[in-house]
Amino acid sequence: MLKQFHQLVSPKYFYNLAVLLTPWFAWLTILLMIAGLYGGLVFAPADYQQGESFRIIYVHVPSAWMSLFIYVVMAVAGGVGLIWHIKIADVVAKSCAPIGASFTFLALATGSLWGKPMWGTWWVWDARLTSELILLFLYLGYMALQSAFDDRRVAARASAILALVGLVNIPIIHYSVEWWSTLHQGATVSKMDAPSIHIDMLIPLLIMALAFKAYFVTIVLLRSRTEILEYECNSSWVSKLLNKVESRT
Amino acid sequence: MTSYWNAFRVIFLRDIILASRYRAELANPLIFFIMVIVLFPFAFGSDPDLLRRVTAGMIWITALLASSLSLEGIFRSDYADGSAEQMVLSGYPLTLLVAAKIAAHWCLTGLPLIIIAMLTAYLLSLPTQALQALFLTLFLGTPVLSLIGAIAVALTVGLRSGGMLLSLIILPLYMPILIFSMLAVENAMADIPFDAELYFLSGMLVLSVTLAPIATAYSLRIRMS
Amino acid sequence: MMERQTAQDDHTEDAGLSQLEVSGLECIRQDIILFQDISFKLQSGDLLQVDGLNGSGKSSLLRILAGLMQQNAGKISWQRKEISTCRYEYQQELSYIGHLNGVKDALTALENLRVMVALAGSKPEFPLSKALDQIELVGMESIPLSRMSAGQKRRVALARLFITKAAIWLLDEPFTSLDASGKLVIERLIAEHCACGGIIIFSTHQPMEIKDCSIMHIHLGKK
Repeated sequence: MLKQFHQLVSPKYFYNLAVLLTPWFAWLTILLMIAGLYGGLVFAPADYQQGESFRIIYVHVPSAWMSLFIYVVMAVAGGVGLIWHIKIADVVAKSCAPIGASFTFLALATGSLWGKPMWGTWWVWDARLTSELILLFLYLGYMALQSAFDDRRVAARASAILALVGLVNIPIIHYSVEWWSTLHQGATVSKMDAPSIHIDMLIPLLIMALAFKAYFVTIVLLRSRTEILEYECNSSWVSKLLNKVESRT
Repeated sequence: MTSYWNAFRVIFLRDIILASRYRAELANPLIFFIMVIVLFPFAFGSDPDLLRRVTAGMIWITALLASSLSLEGIFRSDYADGSAEQMVLSGYPLTLLVAAKIAAHWCLTGLPLIIIAMLTAYLLSLPTQALQALFLTLFLGTPVLSLIGAIAVALTVGLRSGGMLLSLIILPLYMPILIFSMLAVENAMADIPFDAELYFLSGMLVLSVTLAPIATAYSLRIRMS
Repeated sequence: MMERQTAQDDHTEDAGLSQLEVSGLECIRQDIILFQDISFKLQSGDLLQVDGLNGSGKSSLLRILAGLMQQNAGKISWQRKEISTCRYEYQQELSYIGHLNGVKDALTALENLRVMVALAGSKPEFPLSKALDQIELVGMESIPLSRMSAGQKRRVALARLFITKAAIWLLDEPFTSLDASGKLVIERLIAEHCACGGIIIFSTHQPMEIKDCSIMHIHLGKK
């Protein structure tokens, strides 16, 4: 069992696994994305209050979910790398950051686009938007720290600490911002047993959430592959691989 | 146990003595604080009603900036002259020594800052009930700023882009402290009890006293390598 | 690629002796392999000099041995226990003097020595004034280090070696900015420490003479 685990986290094995899995996740992303977008933009009925403009939630809500989810993945991967000195964990943590930041930005941008017709202004100091913005700052700080170091290992370990400190702080930030602002809509989807959203609207939303997850996995695999090659540029298997590519072209 | 206390005391006193040798530098954060406070009326106009409403806020924001700027130097000399290496290699837990350094730093910058802030608030005629809330929030909040900030300082010490990067990293982490402190002061101004906010700040203080020195020590170890 | 020299294995093994064993040590900095597969075994009274050109990883090796840096591969054991499992015990047996002196410029020599003693966690073996005598700084007790010369600062830093009772000394270029008499003091200290059964690992570019001690060598980098 332990041996299998060690094999799994060896960069070479992980690289080959990533090469194998990337197309599968890419196809899954495309299929889910088509299904979700069709369901959300065509199949789902228009909202009786917000009209057609509510359809932006099919991008906004899943990306907001992803922004938090990716931060947790990043912090946990960083922590694993910190404690057990697993290279793959460092690589995954590093690959997560720009994707997470992009999803956070997407959530903010779509939230702002949605806000214009709803509230009549691009930006309101709504609790969720504000904590999303702070999350974006956390991501940016992480990436800035990550890039400030020359040594890859030191960079990975230092930024892992920052990610973990951020992870402890996220709930605190979230609740303090919630407390501070009373101007926000109640949670609509988290109450799974009695959803206040219509089932025809909910299903495409969940499909979109899955599509975004698959997209995230695809991109992480792609980015990790490049990172591993850079990380392991001294090892024999990488030079062998590069020779093979060179002789092919 | 006594030897642990002794090690804590030695580092604490060493930092106090060091600061006393560079006395002029001690005043810098305080002068910065007063100067920034003076900027606010220029920006907002000198309408007394408006200024009274934002006094507590501008004092807190300025205190936050002053504390993050002064924190930047907490490990700088130790890192540059090799004392940090020797602290890592000492026979004592680095967490303990780091805690002593943070405590010394707060006594040297946090305490004077609170006194100056209270004086400024009084001169700007903040209502009495708000003064009390401001004092309590500063007293509970500034140690948290030092503790959380120390982690980020340990991570960025000795880097090219140190200062700017540091602010980028810590300001998001400071936001809850600012939010709750301001809510407490606002409640006090409206004669509403503000216990809840104080409990929250106390909770943050307890959490950061327990965890921040550990994280700081760990970060410093990483920076050494 | 590496030239290795292992301590004689026919040393009589004694439970009371200190023993530092290094096997298969590897260090990679910024994607460049500094050294690979370094192994040696040191016992009480051994003196090891690390040779190599600039940038060959001498400082990194010493920092790794001190536990400041982490090796990319390999094992370091102290008294047959890996040092990551007994970090505090190991560090109490260790004195490391790197390129940086680890002393405070704003403090006087005496104050610096007091901090060193307190942080080492051991009682000084003799009054600190005697330590000042040893490093030939008597009469300069109350002058802050910022007003001393580089060599005098280095002497204060090296005083760490004899005011604390460490078994292993790791010295990175100990003679930097020392004058002839300072160098003599340190050479004498090294000889004494070896005679008392200590272990010393050091790097230097200067020729040196240590009485009654054979110096082992380890060479880093390409020949």
